[in-house]
Amino acid sequence: AMEGRCAVETWTEFGFLGTSTTPKVRFGTDVFICTGNDEVYVFSTHERKLKASNCFSVKDDLPLCCVSFSLNMTFHSCRAQSSSPDSSSIPAELKISEFLVIEADGVSSLLLVGTVLLTLSQRDSSWLMTLYKTPEQTESSSYEVLGSFSLPLVSAVVQADTESKTSVLICLHCGDTAPLTLPHGHFCLEPVLFKLLFGVEAALAKSPVILCGLPDGRLCFLPLRLPGARLRVLHSIEQPVVFVGASVVTETGPGHSQCLVAMGEQGRVVLIKTEKGRSEDGSSLAGFTEGIVSGPVQCGCLDRNCLYYSTGSDLLLLDLSEGSSGKESKERVEETSRKTLQSPTSLNVSRVVALAEPTSNTSVQLLGLSVRGQLQRISLPARRKDAGLSKLPSAQVGRSIRDLLSAIGDVCERSSVLKTAIKSKNQILRHLNQVVNISFLLTATNNTEDDPAIKEKPIRCHAMTSWSRLLQKDCLNLTCVLDNSSPFVLERGWTLSVTVFPLCCSSTAGEEISSANFSFPFQNLNSGETLEVLLPIAAAGDSSFPMTVNCSLIFSLSSLLGEQEAASSNISLPLNTLTVDWLNALQLNSPTARHKMVTFQPGSITTDPIQAFISSRQIRCSGRADRGAESGSRPEKYSASVRVSSELLKDSLVLKNSNLDPKISLSSLTVHACGPNGATVKLTAKKVGIVFSDELEVQVESSSMTAVCGLHHAVLSRIQVQTHTHTVRLNTIFREVQQNQISGALGVGMTAGQMNPGLLSVYQELRQNPLLII
Amino acid sequence: MSHKMSQPPSLLNKWIQENNELVNKWKQPEKGRDTVRQDHNQPHLKWCSYEFHKLLGIIQGIPPNSDYTQLELAVVYNAGVCATAQAQFSEAELFLTQAAERVLQVTGGETGASDPLVCWRAVLKSVENTHLHPSVLYLVCLQWAIWLATCQLKTIQEFQEEMPSLFETLCGGVGDGAISEARSKSSNIPLMVMDPRRLIELLQICTSIALGAERLTEGQSSEALTGLQAASSLPAPRALVGYTHLLSGSCLTHMRRPQMALQCYRKALETDSRCVCALYQSMLIYRQLGNTQAEIQALRLLHSTLMLPSATDPALASTHLLSPSSLLCSQSLSSLLSVPSALSVLHSLALKCLLCGRVSEGVEHYLDLLAVLHSEDQQGLHTQDATIPRLPELYLEAGAALLMARRPADCLALCSEVISTTLELLPEKVVLEEPEERREAETRDTEGENRVAMVLWTAAAYLLQGHCHSHLKDWKQAVTHYTRCINLLVKVRLKKRDFQPQFSSADMDVQRGKDLCVLQKLKGLSLAGRGISFTQTDKLKEALRDLQLSLQAFPGIFLCTYRNLSLALCWTQQSSATEYRNLVLPSQPGDKKRMPCHLMNRINFLHPVKRNPLSQQTWINRESKLEHVLRVHSV
Repeated sequence: AMEGRCAVETWTEFGFLGTSTTPKVRFGTDVFICTGNDEVYVFSTHERKLKASNCFSVKDDLPLCCVSFSLNMTFHSCRAQSSSPDSSSIPAELKISEFLVIEADGVSSLLLVGTVLLTLSQRDSSWLMTLYKTPEQTESSSYEVLGSFSLPLVSAVVQADTESKTSVLICLHCGDTAPLTLPHGHFCLEPVLFKLLFGVEAALAKSPVILCGLPDGRLCFLPLRLPGARLRVLHSIEQPVVFVGASVVTETGPGHSQCLVAMGEQGRVVLIKTEKGRSEDGSSLAGFTEGIVSGPVQCGCLDRNCLYYSTGSDLLLLDLSEGSSGKESKERVEETSRKTLQSPTSLNVSRVVALAEPTSNTSVQLLGLSVRGQLQRISLPARRKDAGLSKLPSAQVGRSIRDLLSAIGDVCERSSVLKTAIKSKNQILRHLNQVVNISFLLTATNNTEDDPAIKEKPIRCHAMTSWSRLLQKDCLNLTCVLDNSSPFVLERGWTLSVTVFPLCCSSTAGEEISSANFSFPFQNLNSGETLEVLLPIAAAGDSSFPMTVNCSLIFSLSSLLGEQEAASSNISLPLNTLTVDWLNALQLNSPTARHKMVTFQPGSITTDPIQAFISSRQIRCSGRADRGAESGSRPEKYSASVRVSSELLKDSLVLKNSNLDPKISLSSLTVHACGPNGATVKLTAKKVGIVFSDELEVQVESSSMTAVCGLHHAVLSRIQVQTHTHTVRLNTIFREVQQNQISGALGVGMTAGQMNPGLLSVYQELRQNPLLII
Repeated sequence: MSHKMSQPPSLLNKWIQENNELVNKWKQPEKGRDTVRQDHNQPHLKWCSYEFHKLLGIIQGIPPNSDYTQLELAVVYNAGVCATAQAQFSEAELFLTQAAERVLQVTGGETGASDPLVCWRAVLKSVENTHLHPSVLYLVCLQWAIWLATCQLKTIQEFQEEMPSLFETLCGGVGDGAISEARSKSSNIPLMVMDPRRLIELLQICTSIALGAERLTEGQSSEALTGLQAASSLPAPRALVGYTHLLSGSCLTHMRRPQMALQCYRKALETDSRCVCALYQSMLIYRQLGNTQAEIQALRLLHSTLMLPSATDPALASTHLLSPSSLLCSQSLSSLLSVPSALSVLHSLALKCLLCGRVSEGVEHYLDLLAVLHSEDQQGLHTQDATIPRLPELYLEAGAALLMARRPADCLALCSEVISTTLELLPEKVVLEEPEERREAETRDTEGENRVAMVLWTAAAYLLQGHCHSHLKDWKQAVTHYTRCINLLVKVRLKKRDFQPQFSSADMDVQRGKDLCVLQKLKGLSLAGRGISFTQTDKLKEALRDLQLSLQAFPGIFLCTYRNLSLALCWTQQSSATEYRNLVLPSQPGDKKRMPCHLMNRINFLHPVKRNPLSQQTWINRESKLEHVLRVHSV
């Protein structure tokens, strides 16, 4: 019945996209919009501009109903303010009297009738309507309870699935006693219908009647000023009531509404009208006409004879008039006797979440609020006079069918897009869950760092070193193995990050700290699987050992959520730290021993030269190697020694290592090797059982000072010095030595004379009194 | 106590201090809160309760330890009182049972008794002669309060019987010493949110009142009386002492000693001037005794008391945490203490004044009543007692009163308001069914009933208008309105023809019988009224017909009319009322209270000619004719 399309004019945008709650809107000359949190906007429809926003703050923990309550308060205080002479319009800054809030839980809607404030709230077993007397001045904050009325809940069948606890409250006045101007939510009902529905007594008492639509579908009423009145059920539409209003319907009359309309969430509509002479005794009756339109209904509004409602995807118009005025009365009677609704007309406006009745008289205009937060004026096309049930020409029918089909196609497309979106969101959620689990697992073990027994993380790295020759240059490679022994899968998005930097980085040196970072993104690492990566850590001649290898897992949220949503958020989870020391970096001279060497974090050694060396020592613990540069007779040779009990060696090194490779054994107790800086070193172990029979002396000899220091340090760290003092001291000395080297002429075979004499003496003192560790 | 401090000084002190701070925080705003109503305290109370609960949780986190037990018991008491004050009885009881178990663990008593009585006995035995004894007694008091608040009077009685000595100790102000000692060095002693002595006092009198009410409803008036009279001398708030007197009065009423009951009610009022129930009960006794003047006086007092702003406040507002009203919540007591609303009292007053001839006073009250109903002020309207007649009937009563006070114009206005309201809804015909059949057809109950009622209301309004016009000697208008009344009444069809209103006695179906009776009486009155109006316009034939029909419709009316006609010359207003009482009332079915007021004294309006000497003559002339005709017919 409509010609042309609706003109939609967007007035302003509030931008509360994505809020899960429906915004509360109050239309009028000023539109109040509450976005569900703490912001209330006031928009003037005359000036077409936003007058005020964020006028008051509502505490975060207040539920939405309270916000709506506050919204109502806004009106209340507005009224109080508009009485002052200069305020023809609402002041830009609304003054809200501080919490007038009544201590009431679960208020789902409220209404102001004169000086009485009504709240409707759900209790455990009943609906409770409470009447408060509003104070004369807004400053005073006490709302005196006038009375309360309760209505028991129906059995929880309908209740259970209605999570939305919104209810509708309106106030109906009997036609001849109504005040001249009616505030929002107040309607003036035609007297006969009023009396038929609510009784003669309410009319005689000139009492306004409160009508409420409940989420269980019941329409209840309460005569406000009638002694002994109760909250009674008028009708039930058996689905959550979305909208209740009154409409004029017929064109005559002084503007008293002759039809009461209630609309349910699933599209059930009930029209309540007076039916003259329908009962057997010839008196008037209240007629209930029910019909169903396609839902879900989000909001609705009424004008003189049309019901407009939005399903979210479309705005529809339902003509409530009983045929056009030109029809014969006989036909009209027949039509009413059929008790059917006309079919609704689509207006092709989607995403409207709130509607207000038309403000203009000439053409039909609606005010709507879209889900995107746009306040729109929807101008309906002019209605054709001869519209109605007349037959459409076939061309028009074809066109409308085409329109419908394309609309169906649109909806299909939209729904499939939504489905995929939901699916991917679910996947992301599952993925995130794994990530959170892993994070928790790794950070939880982090916290127990004091106890080394629990320190082992279920996801950790092992590493092995190996020398390889590339382009005639030896270089040391680290094979890092990520072992996932946790019950979770490391899925797409994880990256293994390995950072290698020297343990002793000199801050005083002009050089940059030479740290290297390697990232290995991987796809999927199931529980129990390992990932092996190979990375070069040093070239021959590089002497910046020992090196620290930091392993960590990094998860980038952006790969999961897309770039714009998580631009900079990465989760970094440290795994464990490995050390590559001099011992790991040794190249054994023996061709048979030139094979893979394995490094470990302290305490989890498999095979390495020192280990091999120690085990060989245990087998043939006889003989005594040359003492090195001890006496200074061979000044180019330096040596250092450690005395240690073989038990400790076994305890700290050997026994922890059950999978010792038996094939690797050296033929002698002396190992000749080549250090990473090219210097040759000799490692010797011998038994010096003077005090303790098991006492061993481990000696390191080389012509390179750096190599001796490095190896000495490595040996000491390997034996896990329990008393930290020695290590600390050694560390300092070692650092000083290195610094001296770096600051001075860096090179191999540096003579003693070039070195800092003081340092040398300290070192010699240290060397001559080998640490005895038992 | 001090020797305890040495061992774990910091923790114990800290907890005591925390407890005392909470108690002080509770008590501090209490001082400035006299004017604020009780429910404004709720958030504060909730907070306190929560904090005490938290503290208790911390204290009970360590195993039971004799050093802490006294503190723990004090905190249990505080938490329990707060929970009880919020009506969280199960939570409070949980606190108590936990505390009891922990005390038994400390003292080595036998644990595991599920019955609270047994449990408390064991606990009390285990702490006998220790410093814990008073603290445990306080908890017993709290248990008692919970029993009382949950109406477990039987348990309290059992408790009372089983441990009379304990009960006496409890009531005999135990712990006075401990408390006065505590005052001196309050920082080391855990404070209590409510003084246990006040609690015991409260419990004693409230138990007596609740027991008295229970016995009274069970019919054991004399036992109840003994208990209540003993309780009336207990130290307690005035309102509670007032209750004992009031209930004693109710016992005496039951024992058919109205004068003694009146004495008690007066004592109750002297004790507590806001005891409206005593006024109400006195009024009922005056009504029973037939002392109308006193009854009206009592009604007037009752109404003005109810209209006082303080009357809407709970009578038992208390400064303590546990209010007496929360302890007195039994059904029997509240039914004994119930008082009709101010509106309903005002209506009774108006009606009473009217019925006993104080017309102008009655009219004033009716006008007050209508003013209240139409005021914007909603005060007092939202009561759910249905003792007030329905609104149209109230209008008609008020109209009748106005007419009796010779204000026909006002009466006309009221009646036309009723008519305008109902006119559009009047059915073409309505069926008044026989009571038995009506019961089966319950489905259309309200609607059908409303339609019959609507017809009757409108008819009565027309009748009153007819009376007004005849009062104004506008006979033509009178005839019009009587005719409208009659036309309306004939639309009501009786489903069973032979159904006689006289025999539809009270217990059958009061409403329906009443409707029928009202219908017949309205017919009789309107016909008689029209008949008389016809006589005034010299339409004797019609007059005769109407009077005759009136006789058929309602014999009492006819008798009255007949007598009225024959004796009209010498009647005064008083004598007509007497005549009415003697003649009309006995002929009515049931008691006169069931008859709507606006139909009762209608007879007063049926003597329009008595002051007119000229028409007296005409009356005499016509009377002889009428009498002749009627005699012929009755033969």
